[in-house]
Amino acid sequence: MAPPAKAITSPVPDAWYPTLAVFMLAIGLVLTASFFIYEATSSKRNRSLAKELTTGGGFGSLFLLLSAGVYV
Amino acid sequence: MEARIRARVNLALTFFALLFFVAGSSPPRQFVISNAERRIDLSSHIINVHLTLKVENAGTRSASEVVLALTPTEVDHLAMVDASAIKGKRKKTTSVRLEVKPTELPDAPPIDTKYFTIYLANPLNSGESTTLEVLYVFTHFLEPFPAEIAQSESQLVFYHDTALILSPYHIKQQTTFIKTPSTKVESFIRMEPTNRVGTEIKYGPYEDRPPYSISPIHVHFENNSPFAVVEELVQEIEISHWGNIQVTEHYKLIHAGARHKGVFSRVDYQSRQSSNGASSFRYLLARLPPRVHSVYYRDEIGNISSSHLRTDSLKSELQIEPRYPLFGGWKATFVIGYGLPLQDFLFESSDDKRYLNFTFGCPLIGMVVDKLTIKVVLPEGSTDPSPVVPFPVEHHLEAKYSSLDVVGRTVVVLEKKNFVPMHNSHFQVYYSFKPIFMLAEPLMLASAFFMLFVACVAYIHIDLSIRK
Repeated sequence: MAPPAKAITSPVPDAWYPTLAVFMLAIGLVLTASFFIYEATSSKRNRSLAKELTTGGGFGSLFLLLSAGVYV
Repeated sequence: MEARIRARVNLALTFFALLFFVAGSSPPRQFVISNAERRIDLSSHIINVHLTLKVENAGTRSASEVVLALTPTEVDHLAMVDASAIKGKRKKTTSVRLEVKPTELPDAPPIDTKYFTIYLANPLNSGESTTLEVLYVFTHFLEPFPAEIAQSESQLVFYHDTALILSPYHIKQQTTFIKTPSTKVESFIRMEPTNRVGTEIKYGPYEDRPPYSISPIHVHFENNSPFAVVEELVQEIEISHWGNIQVTEHYKLIHAGARHKGVFSRVDYQSRQSSNGASSFRYLLARLPPRVHSVYYRDEIGNISSSHLRTDSLKSELQIEPRYPLFGGWKATFVIGYGLPLQDFLFESSDDKRYLNFTFGCPLIGMVVDKLTIKVVLPEGSTDPSPVVPFPVEHHLEAKYSSLDVVGRTVVVLEKKNFVPMHNSHFQVYYSFKPIFMLAEPLMLASAFFMLFVACVAYIHIDLSIRK
């Protein structure tokens, strides 16, 4: 047989899933909160919305799903 | 069904017995079998026949194909045929596995016989001899008689066969040993010299028999081993590149022995355990890979709690107990699911493809599976799936839509009929996958949040008041 094949693992170690889920969701919630506060208080809009939105909630919810056992 | 088997076998065997006289006019074969020893193991409902042939090349040219013959009834029930060549002396023997393929021999006399050819590794020269070991595995071959039994009766079955080994070659000396599970044998047909010692019946040795000679016999004996047959097994293996393989198995289990007649008395079953329900079974054992997690066992009603999981570093054993003991003709349907770590099964191959290396078959030990379907669900974005299976199976592709799927996942479906447990057969499914596609899932979730915020911003900006 060929030399032992290299095993494929997830790009992020599984042991980190719950920790990453908690941290990223925390960051996402903070950004969401600041976004809504910003919306509610100022009358002129900025373009800083776009940057924060793509990272905060998305990755956090992915790691939440993975740590709960729903391997998507 | 069983009566029909018996009638067909008897008809086929008497037909061949008549042709025994015509056999002398068949074309002379090159090989001669100088010694044949057949050991038939009838201890469980899966029949293993070990045939040791000492084949001699009596012709002038060298040949490398040895032909095995089987009656059509036997071929219907044949699950596996395996051949290997034995080299070496008494203490040091090595065996080399040989290829066996079904063939047709149109000019051979009994037209209904089915043939298999063994391809030898090296051609056998004139005058040389070699020893071959052939293993046949037959399923559904024991006929329960009586066909229906009560709870307190023991199960008796018929085994139909021939005392002489069916072969297209002249056999100089042959012996057959039949091993029954217990010493309780109701009757057996004798063909001298026949001898019965304990659990073994010896037919032979018979000298100098011409090709295609047979002699029908039957053995009526007690067999209380669990006749557990899985009518249908659908095993779904879902691969997730985030680190998990989820396996879900749907079973349709049936007790394929003598049918149960009369009432089922729970009191009798529990109080007189030695004489009651001798042929029924309660426990099933499944052998799972090590490091298995999240094992569940449920059916349509809900979770079944009568199960035990024992793990160690080499394997995991799941012992399950269906909701009721299974008597003849009774069925049980259930689902077993478990998760496995990805790195034990998914590997990178040399040409930049990934492959899944998994055991082919049913984790429940000692079962015959009438129809086995294995579905390998590849992650989204996989291309070029190709299965590699050590024996012929039917395969096709399907699509499945699971969580966070846009285009759907490719499913490789492998189907096999009449599956018996064989030693460690693995199969591989190769596919290509670009790792960048894994980013699609978090980006999909992030864009969902993004849409939510954009909607909020839009709502705040839109002025719906009627009055300025």
